[in-house]
Amino acid sequence: MSAKRYGMSIDIDKCTGCGACMVACAVENNVPPAPEGANDRKGITWIRVFRIANGAGKTAFVPVLCQQCGANTPCVSVCPQQAVQVDPATGIVGQMPERCLGCRYCMAACPYHARYFNWWDPEWPAGMEKTLNPAVAPRMRGVVEKCNFCHGRWHAAKARAAAQGRRDIDPADYVPACVEACPTGAIQFCELSARPDGPGGFRLLEKLGTDPKIYYHSQRDWVREIAAAPGGKEKARG
Amino acid sequence: MKTTRRDLFKFAAGGAAGLLLTPAPWRLVTDTALWSENWPGIPRPVRGELRTRFTHCTLCPAGCPVKARCVGDQPIALAGLPGRPLCAFGLSGHQLPYHADRVTEGDIETVRTLVSKRAATESVAVLDLRPGRTASWTYRRAMAALPRGIYLAPQSAVPAVNLDAVKTILSLGVPVLDGWGTPAKVLAARPHFRLIQAEPMESHTAMLADEWLQLRPGSEQALAEALAGQGGGERTGLSAEQIGSVARQLAQGGALVLATQESPAVIELNHRVGAYGQTIVARREAAVPPSWRPAAPTTALDALPDRSIGVLLIDESAADVYLPWTALESKLAAHAFVVTFASSRAGYGRYARLTLPAPVFPESSDDCVPAVDSLAATFRLAVPLVTPPRGVASPTQFIAKLANLPASNALRERADAIHAVGRGTLQQYADSRVVSIKTIKRDEFWKGLNEGGSWTDDAGGKMPPLEPLPSAPAVVAMSREMRAARGPMPPLVSKLYRESNLRVRT
Repeated sequence: MSAKRYGMSIDIDKCTGCGACMVACAVENNVPPAPEGANDRKGITWIRVFRIANGAGKTAFVPVLCQQCGANTPCVSVCPQQAVQVDPATGIVGQMPERCLGCRYCMAACPYHARYFNWWDPEWPAGMEKTLNPAVAPRMRGVVEKCNFCHGRWHAAKARAAAQGRRDIDPADYVPACVEACPTGAIQFCELSARPDGPGGFRLLEKLGTDPKIYYHSQRDWVREIAAAPGGKEKARG
Repeated sequence: MKTTRRDLFKFAAGGAAGLLLTPAPWRLVTDTALWSENWPGIPRPVRGELRTRFTHCTLCPAGCPVKARCVGDQPIALAGLPGRPLCAFGLSGHQLPYHADRVTEGDIETVRTLVSKRAATESVAVLDLRPGRTASWTYRRAMAALPRGIYLAPQSAVPAVNLDAVKTILSLGVPVLDGWGTPAKVLAARPHFRLIQAEPMESHTAMLADEWLQLRPGSEQALAEALAGQGGGERTGLSAEQIGSVARQLAQGGALVLATQESPAVIELNHRVGAYGQTIVARREAAVPPSWRPAAPTTALDALPDRSIGVLLIDESAADVYLPWTALESKLAAHAFVVTFASSRAGYGRYARLTLPAPVFPESSDDCVPAVDSLAATFRLAVPLVTPPRGVASPTQFIAKLANLPASNALRERADAIHAVGRGTLQQYADSRVVSIKTIKRDEFWKGLNEGGSWTDDAGGKMPPLEPLPSAPAVVAMSREMRAARGPMPPLVSKLYRESNLRVRT
């Protein structure tokens, strides 16, 4: 099977902040509902839609997930347990919760704040455990988790390809849950054979040199300025 | 060579250091983690054969098609169809039956006896919060059969909105971009219309609107009156220039005024801007069996005398527009008996004498009303994906039994009536096939509907005329506050409300 380099292209101008991607992601990856005491810092949302405003009555929504850094991946280099690895076959930064010790170095190292710690045992209301996705194991308290581009779906697509005697998976078979759920088509999943730059394209904190594989697009100047934080954010707030 | 105690210590230390260079301790760490991952507190997902089933969502009147991924008979994930995605609520709707706040117990037989006894001497009213369904016809037939039955609905008629003709929308607090209409259709049409949101708080729709008018709380009707030339603009807190600007935009044609409650001012304004016949159009209703026709008419709450309802039965299992409790209360007799069929006590359950547990999506067997943005009549079944727990009462069957009507086959009877007319097409989601119902037999039509098919009437043909003023229908939609108050949300929606700053809390 030839090596891939999967990534996403997110059009901020199309995002309406409906949150369908967040909920679809949680359903697909067996992320539990918020326990008592969970808030926007302790909750687990592999993909989180942030609302940004320019202070002049304009609002935009920015979905932020693991940026799947392709170079100098910060979380990989700090993990003492080798619980984070970049899959050479897909370019996806994988998190192995069974190896994780819960030291949270990776969370401190991640410049995108896209990693989440299980502060509580995962709990579902009685009976709801029947709705869990069998392709994804629930994680226990004390480990870190993050977006892995719905790795369960990748495995399923790979198994389907193998059953049909193909070496490469059909791109239509492997679509992450957030992409499938997005009602406006703002999130697109693709193999990055080339940088999907269009007009107004940028990557978050590109200057850090981590080669993120999530490409954002916006025609609005103030959105791009905020994305170039921190200087841009100050400027955008006026 | 004599072995000393020092040698033993050296051997132990060397052995310990050497052990670190072997995989054993690392394997132990991994295994410990694996054991802890599988400890009894962590639920294990059920494995089994994966199947795909189709149904329609009944969480809102849009009735979006649902593709359910199931393990055996248990849905584990819901998704929309290509080009027709689900909203955040619909995506996690399969978890609703397990909500911790769900009402699951109620003494149905005792309530039935009490209601039957009082129905002989007192007036019985049914409040249907989603009129236009087959269940609504059952209620109307049941109320016609009772000596003093009244059928209440929040709206006298539900018109259709022609989104293709809309150029400007003035929304008086309606969440146009947050659950109104069919989300996919509204978002597809969004680039072609200008949205003016008049609302006191910066709601999700207000954020995304082209213009947000921050008016004083409760002054939406005053704005409608001011725009209709009836004065009162000062009550809104908006300047005369702002109101004038909105009036000019509405006068440019293709205008539509949406409100959260039916009011003469909104009807008058829509009439003035030429919405009736252009952006608000009539829609034919799907056929019903001729034997259903002697049905009770829809009674507006205002038309009832005060203290006139002895027994009030509320179907809250499918709720779109709530009537204020204060308005209902004034129509109740001194010792009125109020029963609500709901999945939680968050709505009318706070005031009713009793709350009987009702099925929730995806347990309920119901049909979907045509979405407000559908120009043609539709007939779509919400096929149950899971079995409701014991003790859950179907409001349709309860009310039908009260009037000795057979309710269990009402959906089949209506499907047969639609088939008998022979108009329209059936779309099958499994293979995207669209067939004319003239080419299929009655049983095939019913089977197709139960497999998640959707019948759509022919768009052409003779449409019923819109009612003249002042009884012309207004396009009424649920406001954000009503939406939040109607009952428990799927638990995973906590990702939106508590674990992010995405939604403003009400």
